Amino acid sequence: MQWPVWHYDGSNATRHECLLSAGQDGFRLSDAPDPDRFYPWSAMVSVGHRNGTDLYAHRDLEGWRIVFPSGTPAELKPFLPKTKHYGGVIDRFGLWPAAAVLLALSAGLILFVLKIPEYLAPYIPMSWEKKLGDAMIGDFGGRICHGPGADKVISDLQARLDPKGAKLDISVVNVDMVNAVALPGGKIMIFEGLLKKADNPDEVAGVLGHEIGHVRNRDVAQALIRQFGLSAVIGGGNAGAMANALISYSYSREAEAAADTHAIGLLHAASVSPEPTAAFFGKLAGQEKALGKSAAALGYLSSHPLSASREKAFRDSMDKAATYRPILNAEEWKTLLAACDSDPNVKEGGDLDLF
Amino acid sequence: MGIGNQDETAFEFTGNWKEFAPIAFTNALLTIVTLTFYRFWGITRERQYLWSHSRFIDDTLEWTGTGVELFKGFLLALVLFGGPWLVLTFGVQALVLQGYSMAAGILGVIAFLLLIMLPGFAKFRALRFRLSRTHWHGIRGGSDDPGIGYAWQTVWRMVLGYLPFTFMIPWAMTTLWKKRWEAMSFGPHQFESHPSWEKMLGRYFLCAVLGPILVIAVFAATIGSMTMLAGDGGEPNGVVIAISVIMLYGAFFLLPIAYYAAFFREGVDTLELSTLQFRFTARTKDWLMLFLGHGGLWLLAVLVALVIAAPFGLLMDFSALQANGPQALGVFPMIGLAIAYLVPFSLVMPFIRYRNWRFFIRHMEAGGVIDLDTLTQSSTRRNAEGEGLLDALDVGAF
Repeated sequence: MQWPVWHYDGSNATRHECLLSAGQDGFRLSDAPDPDRFYPWSAMVSVGHRNGTDLYAHRDLEGWRIVFPSGTPAELKPFLPKTKHYGGVIDRFGLWPAAAVLLALSAGLILFVLKIPEYLAPYIPMSWEKKLGDAMIGDFGGRICHGPGADKVISDLQARLDPKGAKLDISVVNVDMVNAVALPGGKIMIFEGLLKKADNPDEVAGVLGHEIGHVRNRDVAQALIRQFGLSAVIGGGNAGAMANALISYSYSREAEAAADTHAIGLLHAASVSPEPTAAFFGKLAGQEKALGKSAAALGYLSSHPLSASREKAFRDSMDKAATYRPILNAEEWKTLLAACDSDPNVKEGGDLDLF
Repeated sequence: MGIGNQDETAFEFTGNWKEFAPIAFTNALLTIVTLTFYRFWGITRERQYLWSHSRFIDDTLEWTGTGVELFKGFLLALVLFGGPWLVLTFGVQALVLQGYSMAAGILGVIAFLLLIMLPGFAKFRALRFRLSRTHWHGIRGGSDDPGIGYAWQTVWRMVLGYLPFTFMIPWAMTTLWKKRWEAMSFGPHQFESHPSWEKMLGRYFLCAVLGPILVIAVFAATIGSMTMLAGDGGEPNGVVIAISVIMLYGAFFLLPIAYYAAFFREGVDTLELSTLQFRFTARTKDWLMLFLGHGGLWLLAVLVALVIAAPFGLLMDFSALQANGPQALGVFPMIGLAIAYLVPFSLVMPFIRYRNWRFFIRHMEAGGVIDLDTLTQSSTRRNAEGEGLLDALDVGAF
């Protein structure tokens, strides 16, 4: 049997109108530039449509094409490859079953990625994290304050607040921001702005307890893994980036709440009143209230819970029967407050907006 | 054998959106269930449809690129874009914090140079990739130029273009167009283009001079009416507001489009391939209609997003979220929000690409005679990576 075909041989743009003579293993094209050449069926590839009919290419010959102008004949269909629709695997199972399976796999993958940092973080050796922290931070560009006696006060502060925990690298840095951060390798930095804003050493103890909570819960390691994993799985594109940010932040908010719980536990064990910390969040809540609804929206997308709910958590932990004592005496508190001003070598921090 | 004549339209778009929609919808479904990984294969299906419904003289075009190639391009883009970006954000920061300001500065400058070279590099590679995957009569185009030289050209020409109050931008754009196209070929023939940048200066001045004047006028009018309102407590003047809106629309939308329409027309009108001369017929009005249509599609997308977001309770007052403490907003509403964003985005983008392509083909014209026997296969290298850089940076190829 012979069928008329259009044919491009790929060497030039001339179109050949040929007759295809089919055999069991392949075919020849009469009136083609090379009429004796034998083409095996197995070399044919389906490459889409031309005016509603299938277009076939040769696996190894660039630009080589045949088209049956009146559609692929039924007799030849068993020999020729099927039209591709969605791509190999999906065509084999059908669109809907494939979509259902892919959806299940994707959901599983997201859950796995959300959970895996929790399981992995405890196994990351603290020494690795410490190296990473040293590489990232170093001595914070000379901005760490070592005023006379300040280092001892900080060390005593940790010993009283967290007597059972391993020694941490806590420092006051000369940056005028009301904040404190836990960084890789158990480094905790209290910004000087926070000290200036605090009325009482117990407030600082509450915030420090929160950061110690992040370190003990391996939140820093978790966050490092989570960020890395999510960006790898969800891929690029705007939609991916947005989903990535939302999911990772929603988790770090849980971690924030857990760190608050840790802080409350430390304060309780050290017989330090949670009231000043509550009052501290009360002050911040007042500022957020002034900002109005935008603050609520900010709390929703930002990594920390809103101050009002944190104030409540600390205040609710007050034990009426307990006898509380201040974590630092007046002399120590004065030394800590002056940690930066009394250090002539410390570098000026300015408003670092890094974290 | 020669084909083609001056009287018929050489290019014709024969597709319609009803045929295209099933492709777009199934692509959107598969893109979402694969966490966006299917998009490379989806774009390949779109292009196979668009190319095969674009006739040039006596046969349609054929898209021969694959999803895997686009995926590789995306990975390449991640490395090229992500590398300098990581250095800029983390490396430089770490060095500054440790006090190595000098090293941080040098590293920063190198990374920054690489980053500003990328858009030009991406544009070049995208054009090269598209030509090498576009077959007509079994013949394809391409280029053997890697595009690194072109990327440097982009940097210094754009810098020179901006220096004299941005007035040399038309010069930078047209000379870059020429460089880009003359590095490309189809079959054995090299493209030639000799656009004149002086021709576009008029429109450009309108854009660069009248635009800022309009903005300043609106600013002055706003200040003026505000002081008036403060003085006698009257109502805002509706006419002044309407005129201000029209003027801002002109400054930011109409004038740039008028310039770009002229630029693109000049570029294509002076483009030649052996005995073929190309022409582009879209005027400012046509471009305007294209963008207004895109705007309408986006509006539709926003509506779809709201409909999807509503059942997840994401439209309620944000302050209500705080009532139950820090964990009020769980992972599932988050995923809902992501879907509310993903679905309309994956539905609208294919139609925007469809409209862009249809616009391009409908307004393309070509004259001259092609000798099919001497239009032999391209000998340029068929590079394996797709136009991932283009996708990552979102610049147009043609």
